[in-house]
Amino acid sequence: MRPEIKEYNYDWLMGKTLSTAARIPAGTKKETELTYRYIPYFKGAAESFINAGQPGIRFLELLGKYYENLLTARDDGKIIAGTTFCSTPTILYAMDILPVTFEILTAIGCLVWKRGMFDYMDYCCEVGMPETSCSSQRGYLGALLAGLSEDVEFILCDTPGVCDTNANAFAFAAGYLDKPFYQLNYPSVIGDDRSQKYHVDDYREMVRFIEKQSGRKLDYGRLAEVLKEVDAQDAITADIEDMLMMVPTPIPPVFNLILYASRFCFAGHPEYTELLHVMRDSARQRIRDGIPGLSAGEEKLRIFLCYIDHYTVDMNFYDYLEERGIAHTGSILTRNFRDGNKYVEDMPSNAYAIDISSPEAMLDTVAQMNARLPMVRSIRGPYDRPGMWLEESLACARLYQADCIIYNGTPGCRNTWGMVKPFARDMEKHGFPTHIMYDDAFDDRVESWETTKERLDEFFHIRGLL
Amino acid sequence: MSIVAGCDVGSLTSKAVILKNGRIIGSAILKSKPRPRDSADAAMAGALENAGLLQKEIVYCIGTGYGREKIGFIDEAVSEISCHGKGARWLLPTARTVIDIGGQDCKAMKIDPDGNIERFTTNDKCASGTGRFLEVMARVLGVSMDELGKLTAKATAPITLASTCTVWAQADIIKYLNSGVPIEDIGAGINAAMAARVAILVNSVKPEGDIFMTGGVAKNIGVVSTLEKLIGRRIKKARRADPQIAGAIGAALLSWEKVNGHKKAS
Repeated sequence: MRPEIKEYNYDWLMGKTLSTAARIPAGTKKETELTYRYIPYFKGAAESFINAGQPGIRFLELLGKYYENLLTARDDGKIIAGTTFCSTPTILYAMDILPVTFEILTAIGCLVWKRGMFDYMDYCCEVGMPETSCSSQRGYLGALLAGLSEDVEFILCDTPGVCDTNANAFAFAAGYLDKPFYQLNYPSVIGDDRSQKYHVDDYREMVRFIEKQSGRKLDYGRLAEVLKEVDAQDAITADIEDMLMMVPTPIPPVFNLILYASRFCFAGHPEYTELLHVMRDSARQRIRDGIPGLSAGEEKLRIFLCYIDHYTVDMNFYDYLEERGIAHTGSILTRNFRDGNKYVEDMPSNAYAIDISSPEAMLDTVAQMNARLPMVRSIRGPYDRPGMWLEESLACARLYQADCIIYNGTPGCRNTWGMVKPFARDMEKHGFPTHIMYDDAFDDRVESWETTKERLDEFFHIRGLL
Repeated sequence: MSIVAGCDVGSLTSKAVILKNGRIIGSAILKSKPRPRDSADAAMAGALENAGLLQKEIVYCIGTGYGREKIGFIDEAVSEISCHGKGARWLLPTARTVIDIGGQDCKAMKIDPDGNIERFTTNDKCASGTGRFLEVMARVLGVSMDELGKLTAKATAPITLASTCTVWAQADIIKYLNSGVPIEDIGAGINAAMAARVAILVNSVKPEGDIFMTGGVAKNIGVVSTLEKLIGRRIKKARRADPQIAGAIGAALLSWEKVNGHKKAS
């Protein structure tokens, strides 16, 4: 890691950058120009969010505040916990614990930081993580391991099997930083009573672990409040996803990122509910005004991202979709599999419900919710539903009228790389042209964005899609 | 007055050094041939000619490098890590951290005051942290290795290059060339990609004392200057001899110790 990077607290850098960007639209033209001059490398990303209107600006505000909360957590008597996108942060919020979701914070850093998260990723390798480990953890984790971010009290993650590299990275972090950590042991099947009981018992054990580490008891009344907030968030998210089915869709590509980044970091947080309201209102307004979500003004193509988006660097991917007139109909990260959602109608027993009638029911709800997070559910493929990734991607692609499927991931993702080729083959058999992006969603040094873009263009052209 | 030698057969170049009383009296650097034995013979012939000696006058010779087991005229083969440690210590007595970028691998080492290896690490995948990477890129760019190194100082907006796969990096460069990106920016991107990968290795051994670089890439000022920025430390330059022959020097020094009972050559 370059010595000058070690001079700055990463959370402070990000917090200041994002909150400053969020204030840009409130300034005069002269002030805006001046601010942009001070952030030459972040200008592109800031403009992309700001151009998305109030939702983009509110998202920047929310992120800025999130980092600020991290910086003041200790002074405010709060605890910070390291966690993953394979685990919902609801219980943590219910216990007044700030979740640091490594993968999402890496993605945000990739969008904002001049060189992506390269320096931080490389630091992980310098201290012993393999280069082939998943870059999604290595970004923010690099800052944490280098002592450049706010320290975490403990770590929560999943066991290998759900996301192998995730489990390994978190175990490494716990060992390196000498932090207690808890691995949720997701059952190998989904939907049967025995598995459900196992899962809830595991959750109860996790709560005991958090209580021991934090010295706080889980207040079920507070958990009920958080779950009510999640309930409201799920309902608004479902509305937004319904609008995503429209052709042309009023949903700009960047909304997808905002949806899942927020869900993995802020599920159950009231400010996320407010953001969702703004997003829904903005989309409805577009419908009323007859304006499509794409700034190009015309929707030429609809794609479904069967795994994750491309984050490095400068919002390149989202800007590319806007320029080409390509609608982003979501990814496997966007879906939450809440009951009542349109896309789970054809997938019986796949949905979860929110039940706050008793502590037992609430734990069950959180366990069910967690069992339906993308890596836990779709990508892993429980033993009783081995084709789940394919089935769900097909269902979503059909429902959202996608013209093609795009796979984007990281070479470190054993769980998807191990099966993406048969997945793509089967998708093609079902009539969906499928493109595998051989880049790293978080690291431009695996394949430069210019090459990635060229290959995407080639795919769309050769397959007669654009 | 024993005359000893060291021969380092690398994947890109083969080097030979002849030492007399702790002084280099002959050396040679040649492009490696397909067979290691032929490369070694040619390098040693060059060094002998340079020193005005005959092979039979060499009392002891140690071979090193990837082709060391195939050298016909050596008395012993020693690993190149040990030889580079010794050679680096001779070239810069204060060196405690040594970076060696060879044709097909890259190593970071920590050495003790006698040049013995305390700790080392090597690159773990692809050619992208090696001299071969630079050679391939220079060829695509149509410049010499020397010119490639100088491009960093002239660049205004270095490109970010795919640096985990040499073939993809090559494809990237062709694309950048075709789209009119200045050659200086491409060259700087190549040197930076190389330096970034080497920096991980260097930092992973926790560098101490003076840092010294051996191998042909030590002569690439673009890589060296970028690496200095990345690790935040100066990399000391060799003045006694070409850093590219450090492995052969180390082999010759070990030969000297063998003949003179571990008495140091210098």
